[in-house]
Formats: sequence, structure tokens, C-alpha cells
Amino acid sequence: MAETTAIEVNIKKLNRYKRIKKTIPYWLILPALLFVVGVLWYSVLYGIGMSFFRIDLALPDTPFVGLENFFNLFGEERFIHSFQRSLIFVGGSVGLGLLLSFAFAQGLYKVRTFAGSFRGLALVPYLVSGVATAIMFRFLFSRTVGFVNQFLVTLGLERIEFLGEPSWAMLVIILANTWFIVPFSTLILLGGMQALDPDLFEVALVEGASKLTILFRIIIPLIKPMIGISMIWLTFASFNMFDVVLPLTAGGPGRATEVLALYMYRLGFDFLRFSDGAVVMTVILLLNIITSVFYLRVFKSEV
Amino acid sequence: MKRGRDRLYWIPLVILVVWTIFPLLWGVSSSFKTYADIYRVPPSIIPPDPEIRAYQVVLTSRGFSTYVFNSTFLALTSSFIAVACSILAAYGFARFKFRLSTVLFLLILIPRIIPRASLIIPLFQMWATVGLLDSYAALIVSYTATAIPFNTMVLTGFFRGVPPALEDAASIDGASIWQRIRYIMIPMSIPAIITVSVMSLREAWNEFPFVLALTTSTRMRTLPYQLFMLRDAMGIEDWPVVLAFTALTIAPILGFYIIFQKRVTSGLVSGAIK
Repeated sequence: MAETTAIEVNIKKLNRYKRIKKTIPYWLILPALLFVVGVLWYSVLYGIGMSFFRIDLALPDTPFVGLENFFNLFGEERFIHSFQRSLIFVGGSVGLGLLLSFAFAQGLYKVRTFAGSFRGLALVPYLVSGVATAIMFRFLFSRTVGFVNQFLVTLGLERIEFLGEPSWAMLVIILANTWFIVPFSTLILLGGMQALDPDLFEVALVEGASKLTILFRIIIPLIKPMIGISMIWLTFASFNMFDVVLPLTAGGPGRATEVLALYMYRLGFDFLRFSDGAVVMTVILLLNIITSVFYLRVFKSEV
Repeated sequence: MKRGRDRLYWIPLVILVVWTIFPLLWGVSSSFKTYADIYRVPPSIIPPDPEIRAYQVVLTSRGFSTYVFNSTFLALTSSFIAVACSILAAYGFARFKFRLSTVLFLLILIPRIIPRASLIIPLFQMWATVGLLDSYAALIVSYTATAIPFNTMVLTGFFRGVPPALEDAASIDGASIWQRIRYIMIPMSIPAIITVSVMSLREAWNEFPFVLALTTSTRMRTLPYQLFMLRDAMGIEDWPVVLAFTALTIAPILGFYIIFQKRVTSGLVSGAIK
């Protein structure tokens, strides 16, 4: 009799232990979850919510206005302008960035001497801050002290006001941005290339395929998903680029380089138009989602 | 096969080296030039009359030690908390089967793609509501939160690859969850932990939009913020000083990277592909 009770007690203990054990993973995840939900999810959802209310410091309350903020802002010349600036900026950065990262990845894939050092070097811009990148490029393209202009003068050419003329300024922020974001997409493409089977190239070479054929018929189709991912990364980083642009041109000259992220900052912190800033934030998030869905469709692996 | 004959791949590599190094090299070399030599044409990469005046100016400038302290303190605390939370979460995801695991995993991972700069307006509102604008707490919590998604992803992947046999043995011997993490999982995962630590440190050390939006007083500034402000503070720019400041903000993270390069690169490659 006493023996059965002992067993029962043990079974009870075991059951309780099992119940506690079930909750263990939740406890482990809780701290991380609190941070991510409390800060990131909360502010994203709160920001999207803000875009549906009129938040005006001069008004006592904040009435719900539905999509009115969106329509108002879409009708504003400055919004349209900065939307266009963003498209040019993103288009330029993704184009140049993809070209460079593909070339770099090919070089890094093939090199055997100092391969590690080259790969390490390729990553260096990823460690430099956006502000520092901006300062270095502002210096490089400055009218008087910039290397590029001093070089032009040495060649007997005229100085160019890189940061004083709209299209040049756009080119400079695209270059600086590309310098800043290319390392990561290079790594993505390099990873894709290293996953390929080298025998494939040998067979193709034996069959008499040229280098270009191998590149366009084998390498590119096989790493298509990786190209898609690196384009997503380049687009994301550019659409949301703030660190490089503000210290480099501050949106100038005039508003020639006022991309969406910068415009959003201005709306919120210079003009205190918080709900309009939140509208731009929502637009930026939507653009990110749309572009990534688009790329994922286009570059879906067909293999 | 005949890789040796194909030397064309050196072209992109040369472009890579010039493209990557030149802006840095030009900046660092100019930080050692005299104020007048900065304007000299034709330009020379090697300073004709090198001096360390700019570095002396920066190092003795008012508030510089505060900015160094702020940057270091924020980077270390937020990275430590982020890595600690991520280790626990990753262990939960890698070693337990539970009902909500996929949902929770996505809940933590998806914000990785939320751009930091886009959050500044709601974040500002949030920290203003709780009265913590212009405080270390607001910055540390915000930095920690942005670092967790990437860390958790990388660590979960790595933990799943660690064979569970050792832990099974330990748990038969009565080791608690905590002991299994502390004495088995962490020592087995040092490379991945170094990777996510360096990534978190880099992220916090270089952070700009949050510190710009969430702080107002000079004593709260970090190095990137002060670097940004240097432009306005001086009227005519003393470029060697600005560049010396830039070099000093880049140097520590670059030093870290050179020490842990192999681990960081391989960790990043795996992180980039997932």
C-alpha cells in the first residue's frame, strides 16, 4: 500500500516536471521576444497607426482621418519629387551595385593567392559607419580639397561642382551608397558561386563551351536566386538609406538628393508633421515589401 | 582545371582593391597633411609634410572622451544584452519542439528586414511617452532590439548543427537547462558567438539615426553623431581634423575585424545566404 503511494507521488512529480518542461522554451524565448515585439513590432505598428490620425501639436486631440493623410501627401509636390529622387537613387545604386558585386564575386571566386585577404578586404566598407562613408566621399568630391577635382585640375580640366549641381550630387550619393552596401551583396553572390559544382565547368569546357557561354548559360542561371537576394538587399539598403545621404549632401543642393528616408526625417523632426512622417514610413515599408515580392517572383529558382 | 591560364579574374580584383581602399587611403593620408597641403595641386597620396596636429586637436577637443565613452558603453551593453537574449532564444528554438515555435521564430526574424531609419518617428514618440528621451536606457533598449533578429537567426542555425548527444549525456547526469547552455552549448558555439558579437558591436558603434532622433543634449552624443555635427561646428572646415576624427571612429571596429576576420566572414556568408 505504502509502495503504491510512493509511486503515485512519483508519477505526480513526473507530471508536474513534464508540465514545467513544456514551458521551458517559452521562458528561453521570452527576453528576446520582449525586445523585438516591444520595440520593433510596436513601433512599426504604432507608426502605421499614426498615419491614419491627424497628429498636430497645435490641436488638442488627434482625430482619426483614415487615408486622408495619404491623399494629402500624395498630392504634395515635395513628396512626388522625393519619391522620384528615391527611384533614381535606388535604380542607380542597384544597377551599379549589382554589376560591381558580381564582378567582385567572380574575382574572389577564382582567385587562389591571398584569397582570404581579398575577401576580407572586400568586406571592409561594411564595417565603416554610414556617417564616415559620407564624410570620406564629401572630401573626395569637394570643390577645393577633393581628390577628383584636384586630379581634373592637374589634367588641365575645369573643376566640377560635384556637390553643387543636382545630377552630379545624385551621382556622388549613388557612388558613396554603393561603396557602402556592395560588400554584403558580393558575399551573397560569392556564396552562391561557391555552392556550384566545379565539375560542371570542366564538362562544359571539355564540350567546347566558351567562357562567356559558361557565364551566361551556366553560372548566371544557376545562381539566379542569389542574384535575386542580393538585389533585394541592395534595394532595401538603398530605399532606406539615411546615414550616408544626410551627412553627405543633407538633401542638397536645393532638394536634389532629398530621398524618401530624408524627407521622412525632415517631416518628423524639422516640420513636426508626425502623421505625414508616419505616412512616408508606411510608404517606405510598402515599397520594401513590394520590391522583395517582385524580385522573389522574378528570380525564383527554376532548377 | 587550367585556372592558371585564365588571368582575367585579376581585373575585377584590381578594381575591388582600388575601389575599396582608395576613399579610405585618401582620407587617412589627408588627415596627416597640413592645413595648406590639403589644397595643393597636384594632389599627393603621401603627405609632403606629415604632422599629427589633427589627431592632437581631436584627442584634446572638448567632449571627445565623453563621445568615446558613450559609443563604447552603448555598444558593449547593448551587444552583451542582445547576444545573451539571442543565445537563450536560439537554444529554445534549436532544442525544443513546441507548438508556437514557427510563429515565434518568424515574429523574431521578420523585423530583421525593417529598416532602422524608418522607425525613428514612432520610436521617438514611444520614448517621449515614457519620458526616456535623451537617456542611455532608450538607446540601449533600441539597439538591443535591432540586433536580436540577426543574432537569433545565426545562432539558431549554428546550435542546430551541434550534435545533441553531449547534452543528452549531461542531462542524464542531472544537468539543468542552464548548465547545459553554459557548459556545453556556449563553449561549443564560440565561433558563432564571436560572429554575432562583432556584428552587434559594429551595428551599435556605427549607429546614427536612433542617436540622432532620440537624444538632444551634447553629453549624450556618440562618435558618429559628433562626426556629423563637426561640419556645422566649425564654419570653414578644418579637413585634417574632420578626417582624423573619422579615422579614429573607424579604427577600433576595423581592429576588431582584423583580429576576428575569418570567423566574421564565414559567419556573414552563412548569414547572408539564409
